[in-house]
Amino acid sequence: MFTIRVNGIAHTVDVSEDKPLLWVLRENLKLTGSKYGCGQALCGACTVHIDGQPTRSCVMPISAVGDKQVRTIEDIGNEHIGGLVQATWQELNVPQCGYCQSGQIMAATALLKDNSSPSDQDIDKALSGNICRCGTYPRIRKAIHKIATEQL
Amino acid sequence: MSKLTMLSRRNFIRVSVMAGGGLLVACGGGSSSSNNNTGTPPNNGGEPTSPAEAFQVGEFMRISTDNKITILVGAAEIGQGALTAIPMIVAEELDADWSQVSGELSPVAANFNNPYFQNLLQFTVASSAIRGYFEGQRSVGAAVRQMLVSAAAKRWGVDPSSLRTESSYVIDDIGGRRASYGELSSEAAQERVPSNPSLKNPADYRIIGSSPQRLDAAAKTDGSFQYGIDVDIPGMLTAVIARPPRFNGQALNVDDNAALAVPGVRGVYTILGGVAVVADDFWAADKGRKALQIQWNELLAGRTDSDTQRDAYNFRLNLPGVPIRSDGLVLLAQTLASETVSADYYFPFMAHAAMEPLNVVVDYDGSSAEIWTGTQSATLDKIFAGLILGLLPNQITFHAMPAGGGFGRRGNPLADYVRDACGVAKQLRQPVKVVWTREDDMKGGYYRPAAAVRVSASIDSANNISAWTHRSVTQDVTALLYAENLLDSLADFTLPPLKELTDFETGMPYKIDNVLMDAHLTVNLNMPALWMRSVNKFSDVFAQETFIDELALKVNKNPYSFRRDLLSEKPRHRAVLDAVADAANWGFPVSGRSQGIAVMGHWNSFVAQVVEVSVSANRELTVHRVVSAVDCGTAVNPDLVIAQVESAVVFALSSILFGEILLEDGVVQQSNFDDYPVLRMHQTPTIETVIVNSGEPVGGVGELGVPCVGPALANAIFGAIGERIRELPLTRSNFKIA
Repeated sequence: MFTIRVNGIAHTVDVSEDKPLLWVLRENLKLTGSKYGCGQALCGACTVHIDGQPTRSCVMPISAVGDKQVRTIEDIGNEHIGGLVQATWQELNVPQCGYCQSGQIMAATALLKDNSSPSDQDIDKALSGNICRCGTYPRIRKAIHKIATEQL
Repeated sequence: MSKLTMLSRRNFIRVSVMAGGGLLVACGGGSSSSNNNTGTPPNNGGEPTSPAEAFQVGEFMRISTDNKITILVGAAEIGQGALTAIPMIVAEELDADWSQVSGELSPVAANFNNPYFQNLLQFTVASSAIRGYFEGQRSVGAAVRQMLVSAAAKRWGVDPSSLRTESSYVIDDIGGRRASYGELSSEAAQERVPSNPSLKNPADYRIIGSSPQRLDAAAKTDGSFQYGIDVDIPGMLTAVIARPPRFNGQALNVDDNAALAVPGVRGVYTILGGVAVVADDFWAADKGRKALQIQWNELLAGRTDSDTQRDAYNFRLNLPGVPIRSDGLVLLAQTLASETVSADYYFPFMAHAAMEPLNVVVDYDGSSAEIWTGTQSATLDKIFAGLILGLLPNQITFHAMPAGGGFGRRGNPLADYVRDACGVAKQLRQPVKVVWTREDDMKGGYYRPAAAVRVSASIDSANNISAWTHRSVTQDVTALLYAENLLDSLADFTLPPLKELTDFETGMPYKIDNVLMDAHLTVNLNMPALWMRSVNKFSDVFAQETFIDELALKVNKNPYSFRRDLLSEKPRHRAVLDAVADAANWGFPVSGRSQGIAVMGHWNSFVAQVVEVSVSANRELTVHRVVSAVDCGTAVNPDLVIAQVESAVVFALSSILFGEILLEDGVVQQSNFDDYPVLRMHQTPTIETVIVNSGEPVGGVGELGVPCVGPALANAIFGAIGERIRELPLTRSNFKIA
């Protein structure tokens, strides 16, 4: 049995200790916004925040979460910057298939919380772990700059 | 059967409204709802299903009494925006209030078949969503608008011609009154369906040609959008399948003791495609699979080897193929030429690698089934599900889910992943989600087939190109269709011409009098191959557009003006070529960079692209900028067109720079994004796209931006370091990608 704190709520789940956080979120807590893409921390689709840090939930065993705060795409809109990122993503029509966008938004939100005027190099560094096969990278970059310039 | 279905059934009052007849004919559809499904997929991206009474109008839309309109979309949503653009087409002719319109994927039913494929099936490949559905969906909107006007005219006792429509209202200017479509919907449903409704003059479009936000944008940013992999139904188990290391291998001996000992594993089932481990959750299933001991019978398994195949293809380049275009007298022109030059090209297998790995949910109870999966090929998926489960079409409710990318992989006419899942469900008789891991997806076959191309050109004494030949060797991705007797399963089904399915390039646009294009289609039933975004245009246009560049330089001409001169009879090619040269400032690259250019037509659309690169002394390649000019006839939603071109550029760069699936003695060597890299943010160039409005009929867009990127890039590399690219990916030529 593990108790984890997700989006401000404590959940107790009966799963094996090596079950990755991603699958606990998706299967046990029914929070399906975080996506499975590679299972090896290569693509970023599963990105969540753990104590504010963008983290690949597909390789983090449930036993390693402890009492840290997990935040997912379902709740990130309740943070000021997370809400701005979601709104700007919509305004610029960023998503195509949309499958990677939960991870992209979590990565972008973490970047903007840390750095209110990121350079292109900062964006490269923060977002290059997140793959998008639809090629929304230019719009993601544009959206991040737009938020930084107009709203932060 | 499921919670999802029951919810939608409860809120959706069906009123039998119009016989399919006229309207369906106008849409090019088949008979009415003979094999209709009753369920609807989870409502993605639109408004929640309205609690107000909803009247289903002709099975293509629901107009509810609170004036909300839900338009059912027969095309797949794979990221290209069908769930937005197709409702725009209907809403335009309907004169709907766009802010009250939502889109929803349709059931699998003949009414929603793609007119491009002769209305035979729902199939979203070949850039055919908009160009397939455009005219029919206009008629749907126009017909329903006319029915609403007639209903209002009867209510008010006036002549319909005295009424007009605007923003989901019928307006009587003389009588000073108006009624909303919602108010009129039940009366309109009693009206006769006009068989030939009048359509708008394109000059009067208000919605088509505008760029409203995607209807699914909000749900795709807050995690609520439901893909197939997110489907969850009560009592559902999860399965993964151990597949043979070589294609078409068969499980001979299975020792499942260790697998069954993994907590959470419920069962192990051998199916045609492999051995399925079924468990309470994904993690247990995956652990169980790792614990399986399987001996494979590989007597008849595939032994495709990339190196051996390349040699065989190169040999075939010396042999005449099946002619697919023949103009003039090539042999004579070659004999009379002052010089004939040629070049050979090679392209490897590539994986689609959509972000959402393949997955299918099947709930089969022995007498009926409900299936959910992200697909581009819902009709054939459903047919194969019926064959395997032994069910009639009306015993299967098939939910085509929006997909996390498709690129052709989810448009498999053989429905491989649906068949696997049905094979598991048939034995299990309990709801099951079959999940492919990334490794399964990467190793599971159905790749863009490898291809070899030889191009030659003859130059006469006046320095004109007098002859052109183009020979392609590639695997026939349709061969399995014939091998499996699919044709026998589908009454009256006729395949589109082979040339279209394989999408060989025959449109070589340049004014050359003597042209011979031929092709070898090899058959390899043990090597699953499938179309991938832009299909053979990817390889054929690469060869064509790099070789034409060589010829330009050979006769001392600028590659842009050389092409332009040869396109004197191709105004649309020329227009995009001019537009891109202008937008990219052709001939004046940023200092230290080099430009390359390419042009083509595809699916009634046209594109020209300029790529700007630099190459360092140690072969570090940086792609700085890609500029595209596209003419897709009529852009329904210009921003979605631009997004598709951006998408295509990134997709193409992944293939050009890195894309390679290697087989050694039948075994795929790649497994995940570490050994099959794709383009990432820091490698992505500045991408600029201009739309050339020709006002011509709608053309395809999804694949349009892919094929010219490679040759434009290769031409730019030549400009930078004087080296010709004859094979892909570029990592093979020892370029380092910055």
